[in-house]
Amino acid sequence: MENNPLKIKALDIILGLILMSAAFYIFYRIKTGLHYKWNWGVIPQYIIRYDPDEQKWVSNLILQGFLTTIRLSIWSTFLAMIFGTIMGFLRTSTSLFNRLAGTAYVEMIRNLPPLVLVFIFYYFVSDQIMPVTGIDDYIRGLSENSQAVLSFLFASPRYFTAFLSAVITLAVFEGAYITEIVRAGIESVEKGQWEASSALGMSKWQQMRHVILPQAFKMVLPALAGQFISTIKDSSIVSIISIQELTFQGMELMASTYMTFEIWIVVSILYLVLTLSCSLIIEQLERSL
Amino acid sequence: MKKKSLFLQILVTIMVLFFLAGSSYAGEIQNKLVSESTIEQVLKRGVLRVGMSTFVPWAMKDKKGELIGFEIDVAKKLAQDMGVKIEFVPTKWAGIIPALLTGKFDVIIGGMGITPQRSLKVNFTVPYEYSGMSIVAHKETAKGFSAIEDFNKPEVTIASRLGSTAAEAAKKYMPKANHRMFDDEAQAYQELLNGKAHAVVGSAPTPVFHAIKNPEKLFIPLKETFAKEAIGFAVRKGDFDTLNYFNSWILVHHSSGWLKEREHYWFETKDWESQVQ
Repeated sequence: MENNPLKIKALDIILGLILMSAAFYIFYRIKTGLHYKWNWGVIPQYIIRYDPDEQKWVSNLILQGFLTTIRLSIWSTFLAMIFGTIMGFLRTSTSLFNRLAGTAYVEMIRNLPPLVLVFIFYYFVSDQIMPVTGIDDYIRGLSENSQAVLSFLFASPRYFTAFLSAVITLAVFEGAYITEIVRAGIESVEKGQWEASSALGMSKWQQMRHVILPQAFKMVLPALAGQFISTIKDSSIVSIISIQELTFQGMELMASTYMTFEIWIVVSILYLVLTLSCSLIIEQLERSL
Repeated sequence: MKKKSLFLQILVTIMVLFFLAGSSYAGEIQNKLVSESTIEQVLKRGVLRVGMSTFVPWAMKDKKGELIGFEIDVAKKLAQDMGVKIEFVPTKWAGIIPALLTGKFDVIIGGMGITPQRSLKVNFTVPYEYSGMSIVAHKETAKGFSAIEDFNKPEVTIASRLGSTAAEAAKKYMPKANHRMFDDEAQAYQELLNGKAHAVVGSAPTPVFHAIKNPEKLFIPLKETFAKEAIGFAVRKGDFDTLNYFNSWILVHHSSGWLKEREHYWFETKDWESQVQ
């Protein structure tokens, strides 16, 4: 890493001015052309508000949606890792059947628009599976304490099944991309490693576990972390199946208050806060590897 | 002779047995139907799950993030009368009927207008409310428009909410106009305020509220509402007990005047405005 001290040249100044004036022009247009009545004063109360009855600060719609988005992203990524690893093994397997199964999964998912996939999955697949498991009644029958724990980790009992469906749907979708990352990782380990471990008399599974995967994992860690950011962004898609995440809560608020711009801006900033902080963490991770 | 009568006796006995079996079998089916009806399930669960969608002033979020509105009052009262808790399931309007059919909630109480096409998919109760369509137009782009015919031109753009009866009415009454559908009403009104649409068609009284809010830009071209519609609860098909219970409930509150009083509060006054902003 070379350390270049920043030098500002004439070209930079000109470019900076052009960008500044463009930004000013856009703001000017919004101000004059749209006749939009800005009303920033009421926005903070929708994020967090002081409840006089309970004498404490409580989260409101936007913050609740924000937390739901985080939960959704974490659980989906976790599940997608499992799907992706299994399918990645299949994709690099020696048997033709396994390879075909893995390929079919990846190509199916990658070549469908996520919106369509979410709809199909939610109304057809998860609706057939969820009632059979009886999970809804089970959750409702739990004690107060376990319900509180579940609400903190997943979602409140009333939205639990919908949340679970959304997590599975997102995981299936993201899993296809993780499959490819895992496959690339496994294939990036040179052939000699396989041969050497095989010469030591290891079984296929032992080779994978002790030799190949540790090296592959190191290779794909940055890509996996990048996929996590994609999951955060893709989680906004499940707003169409009425999961109470950030985008959905924002839209509901807009429908109530008609403050379109303010709410979209706040929602974008919150997404940025989430994804940018993840990006920074990944950068640190890559340096430490 | 004797043989014949014996034969007859046997035949009659067998027939009687059959009838008895049949009638007890029918009774079993009836019991099963009763126990499997949505109403019974709700009572067993102790929770009524209501599907709805944000639609000012039918249902909206207040400052505390709680749901308020005409529809919300109706659903709460219904649950209270049944002696169960209420749970609202906010759902995107475009997917609300599939969500009901797949059992994500028990009933739609969401300002849903009764239409022949919808009635093929769900069962509607008797109306608990009547609504009409009203139209709000932009002062510059739709200058001097004062009748539906003025809007029925190819160069006129009309915005409305996707899948709503307002969108259908707009298409029916102004077939020649250019129609644009949005997922939420807020987006349709934003389009109008930006001057990209000539008018928005929506269920009364929302368009009028917007005209009052933005007097310098919007106006109400038609004094009367058009395309009157009846609003009912929607339940899954083939569930007579549930339909009957809701019908009775609506009749009771029509006659007690409670529905009228709530309707006046939400649709004809603006006392609730301070709760939202």
